[in-house]
Amino acid sequence: MTGARRNSFDVAVIGAGMAGMAASLFAAERGLSCIQIGSGGGILFASGLLDLLGVHPVAERCLWRSPYAALAALARDEPLHPLARVDAPSIRAAFATFVTALGAAGLAYAPLGEQNRNVLTAIGTTKTTFGVPRAMVAGADLLDAPDARPPCLLVDFRGLREFSARQIAATLGRSWPGLRHQRIEFPGSGAAPELYAAHLARALETAETRANTIALVQPLLGDARAVGFPAVLGLARAGEVHAAFEAGLGVPVFEIPTMPTSVPGLRLLRALEAAVSTRGVRRRHQASVRALAFDADDATIELDGVPGGERVHARAVVLATGRFTGRGLTADRDAVRESILGLPVEQPSAREGWHQRDFLAPSGHAINRAGLRTDEAWRPLGASGKPAWLRLYAVGSILAHQDWMRSKCGSGLAIATAWAAMEQVARALRGTAAG
Amino acid sequence: MSTMLLQTALDVSLVLCVLGLVWRVSAWFRVRIGPDARDVTLSQRVAALLHGAGAVLASRRIFDVLRACFLDVLLLRRLFANEKLRWLAHLLIVVGFVLLLLMHALAAVVTEKLFQGYQPTLAPYVFLRNLFGAIVFIGVALLLVGRRRRRTDLAQVRRPIDAAFVALLGFVLVTGFLLEADKIASPRAFYRMTEQFVGSTDPEKLEPLRALWASEFGVVFDDLKQPIDPRLIETGRELHRDACAPCHTQPASAFVSYPVARMLAPAIGVLDQGRADVWLLYLHAFACFLGLASLPFTLFFHVVSAPISLLVNGAAPNRASSAQEHSAAARASRRALALAACVRCGICDAHCSVAPLARYFGNPGLLPAHKLVASGEFAGGRLLRSRNEQDGLRYEALRAAEAAFLCTDCGRCTSVCPVGLDLEDLWQAGRGDFAAAGLPAPAQWVRERAALAWAESLEADLVQSRASEADATLAPLSADRRSFSRCVQCQTCTNVCPVVAHSMHSDHGVDLTPQKVMNLLRLGLRDLTLGSRMVWDCATCYQCQEHCPEGVRVADIMCELRALAVRRLGAVRGVREAA
Repeated sequence: MTGARRNSFDVAVIGAGMAGMAASLFAAERGLSCIQIGSGGGILFASGLLDLLGVHPVAERCLWRSPYAALAALARDEPLHPLARVDAPSIRAAFATFVTALGAAGLAYAPLGEQNRNVLTAIGTTKTTFGVPRAMVAGADLLDAPDARPPCLLVDFRGLREFSARQIAATLGRSWPGLRHQRIEFPGSGAAPELYAAHLARALETAETRANTIALVQPLLGDARAVGFPAVLGLARAGEVHAAFEAGLGVPVFEIPTMPTSVPGLRLLRALEAAVSTRGVRRRHQASVRALAFDADDATIELDGVPGGERVHARAVVLATGRFTGRGLTADRDAVRESILGLPVEQPSAREGWHQRDFLAPSGHAINRAGLRTDEAWRPLGASGKPAWLRLYAVGSILAHQDWMRSKCGSGLAIATAWAAMEQVARALRGTAAG
Repeated sequence: MSTMLLQTALDVSLVLCVLGLVWRVSAWFRVRIGPDARDVTLSQRVAALLHGAGAVLASRRIFDVLRACFLDVLLLRRLFANEKLRWLAHLLIVVGFVLLLLMHALAAVVTEKLFQGYQPTLAPYVFLRNLFGAIVFIGVALLLVGRRRRRTDLAQVRRPIDAAFVALLGFVLVTGFLLEADKIASPRAFYRMTEQFVGSTDPEKLEPLRALWASEFGVVFDDLKQPIDPRLIETGRELHRDACAPCHTQPASAFVSYPVARMLAPAIGVLDQGRADVWLLYLHAFACFLGLASLPFTLFFHVVSAPISLLVNGAAPNRASSAQEHSAAARASRRALALAACVRCGICDAHCSVAPLARYFGNPGLLPAHKLVASGEFAGGRLLRSRNEQDGLRYEALRAAEAAFLCTDCGRCTSVCPVGLDLEDLWQAGRGDFAAAGLPAPAQWVRERAALAWAESLEADLVQSRASEADATLAPLSADRRSFSRCVQCQTCTNVCPVVAHSMHSDHGVDLTPQKVMNLLRLGLRDLTLGSRMVWDCATCYQCQEHCPEGVRVADIMCELRALAVRRLGAVRGVREAA
């Protein structure tokens, strides 16, 4: 479907975070030629857990067991919320496609059900999420055990400062009497005062280090029916390392995500990069958009950060540039602006309205719901209230009317809106191809 | 009288040349480059040479030598591989020059013995002399054209004495052609010849000859009646056949000198008056003698050293292992030979992979040909003695050391060298010499103190206040808050850093992590990072920069900090920039 012009694509996705990756992946899956612009570094902050919708309404911090029931409630209460505008079958299809692609790229997930899962965090709290990596699911199974939680051993490593098994056990001990913790020395790390998760992950990909680690844990097992580790069990060959630990210890083994940026974040980035690259998506991961201009049927994108600069043409453009950390939105003293095109941003009328007086107010702040308004087809609105361009779309956290952090819906927002918008893109491009 | 003068001059030049050659060749056994050459004695080096030569002669290597003799020395195979134009120019000069030397300059020794009845005025010798001279001229012209085309902004290694020698060569050619042209046009020469070979001053005979030589052979008489009677010319032709033709070909076969003679025609009276034939001969001959006497001390010594170098290196079948294969004595001699065999052609400079850095640091000493010259200066002790006028510091030596340590040992210079020098061995030896002289690589001397100690020295040193302006250009990123203010200390750089990962298993681990280096910058404590192991052990794999979620150019900053450290800590260490 690529036009005759050089460097011409069906879709240009600006942004390479979760939403940009999802949009690129879905574009490729639909057979559209796609170029993705921007760094995927933001994904390093992810935990590998794929939230769909955990909390609604945020003011009441109401946790939902079923994300789809939560979505129905959300659609009732907040019809403008982006997730409220995607139907459940689309969301199921989007997640299934996304997780399948990750699995094929070497990052396996537990089968997606209809229910949210609880997983352990590095500080001993539990977190409600939806898609759980295969390497973490045994921990979720323990937390969700119907009767008393079975005995379990948590292991950490001396020098790995970002993860304390003792702290987790101390926090959870009251509700989980069988939870024990042990600190061991990582094989071969004697001299190092401080260890870093990714280095351990790589070291565990060598069979010798792995065997030595398993040998250190084996005598500590006791009555434990499962063993939890910080998320360091392999990086590029994580599946293999996890399987080896389960085989070597003879009990289910699970990882607990460490503080961001973490090994699961690195794995997710690697897997997504592989997933889009193997599907033929062109990536300009060190480039940024200097200028974006439209004419009747074509967008022209000028890139910075490419030697000599580069000009790209696309028949549709997807804006997945994120909110403030992704720098899709920039806030100055007066107002919040959209960074590339200066699109109108839905936001409080004055800076005083950005935050509540109470910083920790459960309902969150107005500024956390700022973003782009779109029409039914996910096209951001220009100053006139009409779509800014006929085939400019916006997906992910740059969309207004959502507070994904408090709702626990970040991945869901990215994946679901990318899926829905790409459906519109495909429809629009089919229309022009026919005409 | 004049013959005796010329003979004496020739003898003196020959003696000077031989003495010069002995001095220069003896340097191959005297000059010491590299720490391993220091303890080798003269007798060991001579013995190594004899042993090496004997071993080659007695083995099948002799075929390698013969091969090298033919392909490398005669056909200049190595030059042909890289520079076709220069190869052609060089070949023309060599062929033309050698033939001129044998046929013309050494006529009494060579040509007369080989060819019966040789006379410089006979065919085909007149034509050949012009042809050989023209070949040299074309060669020189091609060389100059090529040199013009290659002109760069980087200084090239050239000595005035070498340029003077080239000028001298040109002078010999020009005076030779002028001398011949003068003789063609000169009536004085005509009369001398007729007196000698016709043996008569009878106008009956002379007039027809004059008519013929004036109208057809370019002699210029100012007292000849015009127009010339054609019958007179015919008579002259008959006389010519008997008296002149047996040992004098037609002057027009001197296809260069003859047109020149036509141009000289208007001035021939004055020239004859001033005995131009005599002083042109002296100029021509003395220029040749001067060239002969100075040959050992100019670039043209390479006619001796380059073939020997090619033979020595061509006989070493495996270049890569040559350094290990040879004894310290042989290595020492080969390095000294390399200094003499380099022809300053600059092909290595053109292929040098760190040439961009030479431009960046404004230090042309990075280029191989410059480094080779510096090696010679260092071996002669001149480099370390040279002190900057202003502050008496070893500026030149510091620059040369910087150049030596920025070399990446990529080996391109060795692979393109037309005289087959093992330059990598020379560079390695040079680095050893610099280190021994108290100028080790920055990565080595920076370990003399810990990062904190360096920072304290910087604080105590007054020099640093002077450095600030240069810092901004040398380290623009680390001088600009915006380049690291986005850092959120997420540790991604540290997590992906293979150097930090390795130090988990090492007793010589890094002192900081990349993320901590960034944090020190954020805190305005850049001086603390300059001597840090992290900065100096960074493998510049760029994993940190590729992964940084905030787009901080971590690896670029590390490189900058090293450059800054060389300057700032180097200043503290006592080897200061003069600028």
